[in-house]
Amino acid sequence: MARVRRVGKRWWVGAVGLLGLCVAAEVQPAYSQQSVAVRAALVKGSLPADDPTAAAWATASVSEFPMSPQVHWPVRITEVTAKSVKVRGLHDGTTVAIMLEYSDPSEDPDDAAALEFMVGDTKAHFAHGQPMAQVEGGPVNIWYWKNKDGKGSDLGAKGFGTLKPHSHQEVKAKGVYQGGVWKVVFSRPLNTEHGAEDTQFKLGEFGSIAFAVWDGKKMDSGQPKEKGSEKAISSWWYFRADAPADYSPYLYALLAVGLALGFEMALVRRLKKGS
Amino acid sequence: MGGVLIRPIILTVCIYLFLKFIVPVLPHSAPLPSSLIFLYLMLVMSGSVLFATLSGESKDAFFQPILRFLTGESGGALSSARYLVLALFPLLVGWQTYGSTASSDAPPGENRTIHPAPPGEYTGLSNPVPKTPENIMYGKGLYASRCAPCHGNFDGKGFAAAGFTPPPANFKDPTTIAMLQESYLFWRIKKGGVGLPVEGMPWKTAMPRWELEMSDEDIWKVIMGEYDGAGQKPRTWDESE
Repeated sequence: MARVRRVGKRWWVGAVGLLGLCVAAEVQPAYSQQSVAVRAALVKGSLPADDPTAAAWATASVSEFPMSPQVHWPVRITEVTAKSVKVRGLHDGTTVAIMLEYSDPSEDPDDAAALEFMVGDTKAHFAHGQPMAQVEGGPVNIWYWKNKDGKGSDLGAKGFGTLKPHSHQEVKAKGVYQGGVWKVVFSRPLNTEHGAEDTQFKLGEFGSIAFAVWDGKKMDSGQPKEKGSEKAISSWWYFRADAPADYSPYLYALLAVGLALGFEMALVRRLKKGS
Repeated sequence: MGGVLIRPIILTVCIYLFLKFIVPVLPHSAPLPSSLIFLYLMLVMSGSVLFATLSGESKDAFFQPILRFLTGESGGALSSARYLVLALFPLLVGWQTYGSTASSDAPPGENRTIHPAPPGEYTGLSNPVPKTPENIMYGKGLYASRCAPCHGNFDGKGFAAAGFTPPPANFKDPTTIAMLQESYLFWRIKKGGVGLPVEGMPWKTAMPRWELEMSDEDIWKVIMGEYDGAGQKPRTWDESE
């Protein structure tokens, strides 16, 4: 009988432990951080906005996104050079810098790359903010770089055939080609005075971002292999400029531990008195 | 001691194991979200407490072991377990507080309606093209040149598919064209991604608007080729209805 009681006790302890593990496993949602977002960390000191080879880029977390040929709209293309892009981001609280890195077998004057963002809170189709049949949607802001131009361009669009440069140009870009790889850094102030045309970055909040790459290699026809709508593209992904470190959650957690401990001690004392 | 507690604890653990590991492998099932499993466990535990406290006698039998455990009267091996529980409880509360106040690194979730309702004029249309081997073959030819780059060999794995999210539909999957009418496909092919209604967010689909490049007749032939190539049949209204 005594043995049965001891076994019962062990059962009880083991079952409580197992139950606790089961509940704990379900309480906290699992965070999966695959390459669905680019996070630009806050850096102290100078931002490597004009140097794609700066050592600071090695400290930035890298996300990789697959690229597809632009087949959504004529003139379409079915095979492109860039199969994926690696993306890094950094900001210094004033300016944001985003670096695209992708393979390209040859350096050509017409090689080009672009970033695309939604503008404001209105959702936009990833294909140049093309209006939907039942929903108009919003405009998109495009940051464009072409090797032979040697600079960045700030563009806007709301549907195919509406792409045009903004009257203000605040986007800078610089590309470096080394060993069959392009590294192109785009930079711009986090916020501008043109909220209706430019994407604005709110620290700590996710926005949408898409990528495009053109292989400008000259074909026998004399035309670049990829040009205009014939390009490698991605769908919308996410971008966030990180907010400064916030330690308040640790403080709240510490406070909660103290309160729980106090409640626990008061409860046990009360129970002991009662018994 | 504790015998009264063993049954509800074992019941809860068994239900957890069932929901976590058995349900996902049942036919036509899928893994349950953690929040749903947690909800079910809470319901089971609430029900167990309710059942165990229906009478004064059963209530005492249920709570006495817990009280003795918490006050340390149980003694023996349970003393160590008591200290463990008393130490873990505040830590668990702190952990939960941190989890609910710290900013998440996860991007916002997206609601997506996989098969949004088509406009009324596309509901219930019949394929006007005769289902002949020639027409099916012609449709497959169009599919190969227009659709296969993304949708591949009817499996959604075309060479141009990698960059698109949501991915191109896998027509061999029984949850795609097999559960749709031909009129639905006609609408989706004709109007493309930009033809989706607002509930068809998140504005990412790369499906072309084929009405600009294909006649209605060719679209109907593509549909026939798709079903034939994928080994599926369109959903139809039951004759008895």
